[in-house]
Amino acid sequence: MRAPRTTLSGTGPLVRFALRRDRVRLPVWIGVGAGLVATQSVSSQALYDSPQDLAAYAASVGANAATIALSGPPVGLVTVAGAVAFEISSFVVVLTALMAAATTGRHTRADEEAGRAELVRAARVGRHAPLAAAVLVAAAACLAMALAIGTAATATGLPADGSFLLGASVGAAGLVFTGVTAVAVQVAASARAAQGAVAAVLGAAFVLRALGDVQGSWPVWTSPIGWAQATHPYSGNRVLPLALCLVATGVLLAVAVALLDRRDLGSGLLAARPGPASAPWSLRSPLGLAVRLHRGAFAGWTAGLALLGVALGGLAGSVETLFGDNPEARAFLPDAASVVDAYLATALSMAALLSGAYAASAVLRARAEEAAGRAEPVLATATGRVAWLGGHAAVALVGATLLLLVAGAAVGAVRALATGEPAELGRLLGATGAYLPAVWVLAGLAVALSGLLPRPAAALAWAAVAYVTVTTFFAASLDWPGWVDAASPLAWTPLVPVDDAAAAPLAVLTAVAAALLGAGLAGFRHRDLVAG
Amino acid sequence: MTPVIEASGLVKTFGTARALDGLDLDVAPGEVHGFLGPNGAGKSTTIRVLLGLLRADGGSVRLLGGDPWRDAVALHRRLAYVPGDVTLWPGVTGGEAIDLLGRLQGGVDPARRAELLERFDLDPRKRARTYSKGNRQKVALVAALASDAELFVLDEPTSGLDPLMEAVFQEEVRALRAQGRTVLLSSHVLAEAENLCDRLTIVRRGRTVQSGTLAGMRHLTRTSVTVETDRPVHGLAQLPGVHDLRTDGGRSHMDVDTDALDDVVRLLAGCGVRSLVSAPPTLEELFLRHYGDELAADGIPALAVR
Ligand SMILES: Nc1ncnc2c1ncn2[C@@H]1O[C@H](COP(=O)(O)OP(=O)(O)OP(=O)(O)O)[C@@H](O)[C@H]1O
Ligand SMILES: [Mg+2]
Repeated sequence: MRAPRTTLSGTGPLVRFALRRDRVRLPVWIGVGAGLVATQSVSSQALYDSPQDLAAYAASVGANAATIALSGPPVGLVTVAGAVAFEISSFVVVLTALMAAATTGRHTRADEEAGRAELVRAARVGRHAPLAAAVLVAAAACLAMALAIGTAATATGLPADGSFLLGASVGAAGLVFTGVTAVAVQVAASARAAQGAVAAVLGAAFVLRALGDVQGSWPVWTSPIGWAQATHPYSGNRVLPLALCLVATGVLLAVAVALLDRRDLGSGLLAARPGPASAPWSLRSPLGLAVRLHRGAFAGWTAGLALLGVALGGLAGSVETLFGDNPEARAFLPDAASVVDAYLATALSMAALLSGAYAASAVLRARAEEAAGRAEPVLATATGRVAWLGGHAAVALVGATLLLLVAGAAVGAVRALATGEPAELGRLLGATGAYLPAVWVLAGLAVALSGLLPRPAAALAWAAVAYVTVTTFFAASLDWPGWVDAASPLAWTPLVPVDDAAAAPLAVLTAVAAALLGAGLAGFRHRDLVAG
Repeated sequence: MTPVIEASGLVKTFGTARALDGLDLDVAPGEVHGFLGPNGAGKSTTIRVLLGLLRADGGSVRLLGGDPWRDAVALHRRLAYVPGDVTLWPGVTGGEAIDLLGRLQGGVDPARRAELLERFDLDPRKRARTYSKGNRQKVALVAALASDAELFVLDEPTSGLDPLMEAVFQEEVRALRAQGRTVLLSSHVLAEAENLCDRLTIVRRGRTVQSGTLAGMRHLTRTSVTVETDRPVHGLAQLPGVHDLRTDGGRSHMDVDTDALDDVVRLLAGCGVRSLVSAPPTLEELFLRHYGDELAADGIPALAVR
């Protein structure tokens, strides 16, 4: 039987093929999401088992702008279930958005660039089928995430209606980012650029939501993450914000289809213009090449961290206000100055984590170059192994250092303006320095993995970043045993400005970073080049 | 003169798969050496070992008098490489890639670069992601040919080129030979190898099956002879070295061992030869013969060899 030839024909087989290709990835994303919710649920119920504990918790959270900025609107904290939703929802929303973006991008532009889509489109497959299949797979993953989260929360003893609403909110936010990605892949000049654009939108959505929640004002409603959290699971149980997500998704998908009809396979609407016919002077060494390859991503990260620094610095003012307004909080917490400093330490840890994530991604770029076969022609010239990997490692280390200092300077500058004390800039920039060795350790680890264990390097390096993130933000709230975060470089970092900068742990962390770097470079010198 | 490439008994395994299984390769200075073999025979793997990108598990290998693994950087100054599968940086233009690779290798001659861009009809201003396969290949070729290397290692350099560009490539290789440079050329285009190469190495399943000049290889095989005579030729079938004789009226066709040709011609001379066609085997036939054996060994009927 001949299938009707429409622009959608072939979608079914493409969906099955995509699900097959993602049969490990998607369950991992969903498992992590549901697992986080289940863990949070179990540990919150253990932690706040008396009304007094819960009240104390609600009071301290209500006074902490950093927590609100990180988590969401402090509503529904009168029940443990509400506390669970407060603690975990922003993380699983971001996780689901990343899942949706990665899945949609992977089966559209990334496939086109790899030339696989051409093979597919040449078979009897309609013009819209690859996009439709990618969106369907991403949407199915969001739905599965919603059900998994609802099930995990219900199974651990939380009310079913709120639990599935929580899941639905998370899934709905994922749908919006499916739509955002579907548009981005039509517009951007390359798959990488598209992922960068989606990351920027996600970052903006997070910052707007954080600003809105801390000030209790309208910016929340400009953010898909804000819409998802506006359902207030376990307290308000509102479903209307979900409609907002669905409408936005529909509009974005319509825009994506309209754009798809106006572009060619393999290129975006923003076409690549002809470039220079000869290389600039700077492109003459492995380091020059690395700088060239990293500069675009670095510019994006710099803008993101500068903005984040400004936002986090600005929120410090709200911390003081909240603290002043909240008599209960004052009973639990020491004086205002140290509350602000505690907040600032959290803010700097966050910036350090993001800088560490940049460092890992920059080092892994070298590994991606190798896997794509682009290291081979370079290493067949008079370029040594150490110079090549070292070039990428140098960019990662210097870049991550600059990123963190930019974020610290932004926080410091905003504080200096807000308090009228110029010395704040220097004090906070100095405090930022204490977090650098932890970032270097993450960079060094990525180099060591790339040099010694090339095939699983990317997965392991990201697992390390995830581990440091989770232990930094959850070890305390989940009441995990102390040894859990023992391997995290941030756990060994003195939390300046609350703690004093201690030289010894910082020197040890720096030495560990250097040792990892050396091991990675030596490993790379002694192994085969590994393609694929 | 010491050989430019001297590999013997090379072994390379990937997990349980044995990509090289005792491969030998000798390339003399100033020659264009063809490196032939079916897909997966181990050509690219050998080349990667020669470039120090992979380390051999066994055997010995010398390149330009050095150890390709230990002395990689020093040796690479003296060679240029075109990979079999050219992947470039998506956002970098062809011209930038040529300059970068050239500079890393030791310098580019601007006049030569311009000449090659012209000859290969390549637009250096396009970003790599918008190049066709053939044009990506040209970027790597221009970068290599613009260098002042002693040894050119070319892994299927013409797999994406159109016939016009193929001709330009062949001229460039001849020019390299005229300058006394050495070329190792892996290829599936047998006419190209036949045209260009002084000597050949045929590999199969990680082993060298034959090596030498094309003339020498022909000597080891049979010449196909078709003859028309006035009178029937008696006794052909009994001559040692005559194979697959088919007679059809006054026309006979046979394959003759090279050292039996003389006897055959002597016998024919007495029978009134009206026409005689004698064709040495083409490289394609030599190649198909080896490849055919491999298929036969796998239980697949051999390809019909003309
Ligand atoms: N990195 C690797 N890991 C595992 N197996 C490999 C790897 N590289 C090559 N092989 C295997 O080694 C064998 C030789 O491969 P090679 O690429 O050298 O062949 P080739 O002669 O260049 O073939 P072609 O003509 O198709 O280019 C093949 O069976 C291939 O599958
Ligand atoms: Mg090959």
